[in-house]
Amino acid sequence: MSWPTSIAKGITDMNNILKGLQKDLLHLPRTHPKRRATAIPAMQALQAELGYLDDAAIKKITQITGLSTAEVEELATFYSLIYRRPTGRHIVRICDSVCCSMRGADQLLTAAEEYIRTSLGTVTPDGALTVLPGICLGLCDKAPAALVDGEALGPLNDASLKALLQRLQKED
Amino acid sequence: MGTILIDGHIIPFKPGDNILQAALEANLEIPHFCYHAALGSLGACRLCAVEITPKDSSKAPRIAMACLEPLEDGLEVSISAIAAQQVRQHVIEFLMINHPHDCPICDEGGECHLQDMTVACGPPYRRYRGRKRTFSNQNLGPLIHHEMNRCITCYRCTRFYQDYALGNDLGAMRLRNEVYFGRFQDGPLENPFAGNLVEICPTGVFTDAIFRQHFARVWDLKTAPSICPHCSVGCNTLPGARDGTLRRVRNRAHPELNRWFICDRGRYGHQYSEHSARPLAPRASGADTSYHDALTAAASQIKSAQDCIGGLGSAREDLEGNAMLQALLNTLGGIYTAFSDPELETATIAAVSSLQNTGNAPSLAEIELIDAALIIGDLTAYAPMIDLALRQAYRKGAKLALLHSSPTPLAQFATTAMTVSPQEMRTTLSRLYQLINAQSATEDMTETPMTDIVASLMGARKLLLIGAIETLTAQEVPILAKLATALGSDTRLAYAFSGANAYGAALLSPAGSAMVMLEAVEAGQIRILIVAGNDPLGDSRFGPRWRAACRNLSALIVLDCILTATAKAADILFPVAAWTERGGTFINYEGRAQGFAPVFHRPEYLPSVAEVITDLGQYLGHSLQAAPSVLGDIFSDFEIPKPGTTGSLIIAPSLPMPTTPPVHSAQESCSSMWQAALTSWYGDEALASFAPGLMVLIPETVAMIEPTSAIDAGIKNGSQIKLRGSSGSMVLPVQLNQGVATGTIAIARNVLAQLGVGHGDLLELEQVL
Ligand code: SF4
Ligand code: SF4
Ligand code: FES
Ligand code: FES
Repeated sequence: MSWPTSIAKGITDMNNILKGLQKDLLHLPRTHPKRRATAIPAMQALQAELGYLDDAAIKKITQITGLSTAEVEELATFYSLIYRRPTGRHIVRICDSVCCSMRGADQLLTAAEEYIRTSLGTVTPDGALTVLPGICLGLCDKAPAALVDGEALGPLNDASLKALLQRLQKED
Repeated sequence: MGTILIDGHIIPFKPGDNILQAALEANLEIPHFCYHAALGSLGACRLCAVEITPKDSSKAPRIAMACLEPLEDGLEVSISAIAAQQVRQHVIEFLMINHPHDCPICDEGGECHLQDMTVACGPPYRRYRGRKRTFSNQNLGPLIHHEMNRCITCYRCTRFYQDYALGNDLGAMRLRNEVYFGRFQDGPLENPFAGNLVEICPTGVFTDAIFRQHFARVWDLKTAPSICPHCSVGCNTLPGARDGTLRRVRNRAHPELNRWFICDRGRYGHQYSEHSARPLAPRASGADTSYHDALTAAASQIKSAQDCIGGLGSAREDLEGNAMLQALLNTLGGIYTAFSDPELETATIAAVSSLQNTGNAPSLAEIELIDAALIIGDLTAYAPMIDLALRQAYRKGAKLALLHSSPTPLAQFATTAMTVSPQEMRTTLSRLYQLINAQSATEDMTETPMTDIVASLMGARKLLLIGAIETLTAQEVPILAKLATALGSDTRLAYAFSGANAYGAALLSPAGSAMVMLEAVEAGQIRILIVAGNDPLGDSRFGPRWRAACRNLSALIVLDCILTATAKAADILFPVAAWTERGGTFINYEGRAQGFAPVFHRPEYLPSVAEVITDLGQYLGHSLQAAPSVLGDIFSDFEIPKPGTTGSLIIAPSLPMPTTPPVHSAQESCSSMWQAALTSWYGDEALASFAPGLMVLIPETVAMIEPTSAIDAGIKNGSQIKLRGSSGSMVLPVQLNQGVATGTIAIARNVLAQLGVGHGDLLELEQVL
């Protein structure tokens, strides 16, 4: 389970968490670094609830942290595990950094795109899947590697990728 | 302090500097993008590569980033080493992979840092044949044009915007080779200093959208050193003109004032001189006429009115124009003042008298170094660059205490911001004075914000007291001066005046003469009024009185370069040169006399105010002395400052502190009444209000009320209220705003004028259901 997913699972009452985060910041100056630091767990908590952060969610983070929309957007779009577009129930991130790329990641990405007949970064019509290119997972020894809903997999090949996608599409 | 060797030259350096700073200081150019003197080093662009020869000769030379490399005595550096040149060439080649080949259609062309660096270091040809990364641009409002494809990711824009100007609506989005500099959504940039992006971006991502509407290549622009006419800071500017029209204004560095930046009022306010309604031909009896006929008409009117004449100069008119008008009035035996608003006149004179000849008002560079300040009023609206200097002090840890009646952007950076209604300002200042004199920081908890302010002021080593004159009365000004004295001789005192030459105007205007003149016009004792660059009939609390009084005149003679209400009502109108079309002198808020030179001339004949007055003198049979000798008589040894120099403190005979009865004493406040407070913004200025680009950004007209007073009165956000003042009423939507004082309604200048009230006057409020 990936880090954001695991904290998310531990969250019983998101609103209380968000309120707690907000209270911590109340009396800090507008430019205090803690505001940015708090934005990240706040975004993770909200994403665990919503699946991704839409513009309204970004505005909610601004209310919690006192940051501006631009400042929150900087953070939201910098971290690749924060999603600003709708995602499927399952997210497959295929690494396309150097090692994986040399071991065929680019072909895997094309194959995945063809198989699910949906372009990278979008959701399959049944809402099941989103496939994305990702950056080095530190699994270069298992290249080409992928991160599937927070779980590391590799090395992948055409057949194991197809089997994976097929399985995920059937799962809830 | 030590020395280093750069390509064989011995270069001294200051402790704490890096290689790039030492080299630039010694006029040795190391190519760079992301380093900027105001923003420091970042190490983002990798262009400033140099080669360092190790002390140990067995080791190989290494490449280092000059902007990040600390200095040590005897360091040997090479800019020209082949290895360093190659790194720089590769950096440029990489940057040019995605950069469009659009110099011929790019507004930056000719003054583009990337273009210069590419020519200086880059490969002569592009090897890359692949697809380029492209972005969509945003609409950033009327002032700035966005072309993201040209970005080279130096981060100068966000470092300036967020870190330096403390704006928060422009950011660096995304990551890797997709980093995007923009806003959350389309919309005008909100920071009053946003226009500096145009200069700080080393490529053509952010360009001047107003210049773009009537573009010229930079090498075709005529320029000359000028001074910004839009407020009393006196920032140095470099306007550019072509074919008889003014196209743009840029910053011109002054070592103590505006060094790298100017505000958006200064950058975009210049459109007033291109306004379609600008008067360009003299007018008499409602028809265009020649300069000669207008002078003849004016002279004959003046002669027939004999001694009954008044001359109204202006705080935005230069020293020469005001002094010549005063000289003419002296010759004719009439009254002169530069102020149409008697209260503004006394407040300005009081402020100048407390500063005069002391050199106590700090420069912008000095303001950046203070460690505590007491700010009265909204500096952003009256002296935007003082606000920017205070933001720098805040970044360095200065404690800002703020007393204000209406919202002000600096409140978000203040350690203590206290809203005080206009009528209570005086008692609040007096109380501060008492507390400071009592020396003991009284632990009276009921006075918390006050004691906090006292503690921060008394604990400071470099302290500044500063107020915006337009919202201060002549009674409050001396208290601020007394406060400064009480806080010790090192305390600096300054005022944000209204008008680029308000300081100079105050030196020429005898205290009390505005009221004398207004009453004389009302009584019919003044039959001819010459108004130079002033707008008595326009939006001020005395507008209604002046409008009524001016019906008694046999002739209203107006000299101006904008079509004010007064210019519209003129019987004889002399259009004059705008500030970029003539030379002259302004005295800024410090008392610094600065000269500006004519940048260009229009096809029409547009004399300066001083020239019109000289000619009028001739037609009346008086030959007035030339402006320099008139000024030399008033200010002994005064020499007109040379444009392009840094200017110097004007020494003038000292003004007595004017004495006046309290302004608001006549009005007894009753519970159903509210106080009016003037709310302003950075584009609110007589000339700039003729700049269409800026005026797009004018805040919507609302009545701002503090939330608890609104709730007590049963007023909701967004509801409609009717305000009634002495000369009219108006229905406005309510906006609840924490930045307004209790029992106060903050409204814009034009609303105040329409209601016939001033800052601190009482208003009646009625809810509209
Ligand atoms: S937009 Fe301009 S200033 Fe900002 S990073 Fe890009 S090139 Fe640099
Ligand atoms: S601060 Fe004042 S003088 Fe300076 S650029 Fe702005 S308006 Fe002009
Ligand atoms: S390059 Fe793919 S896991 Fe490291
Ligand atoms: S100027 Fe040194 S890395 Fe950019």
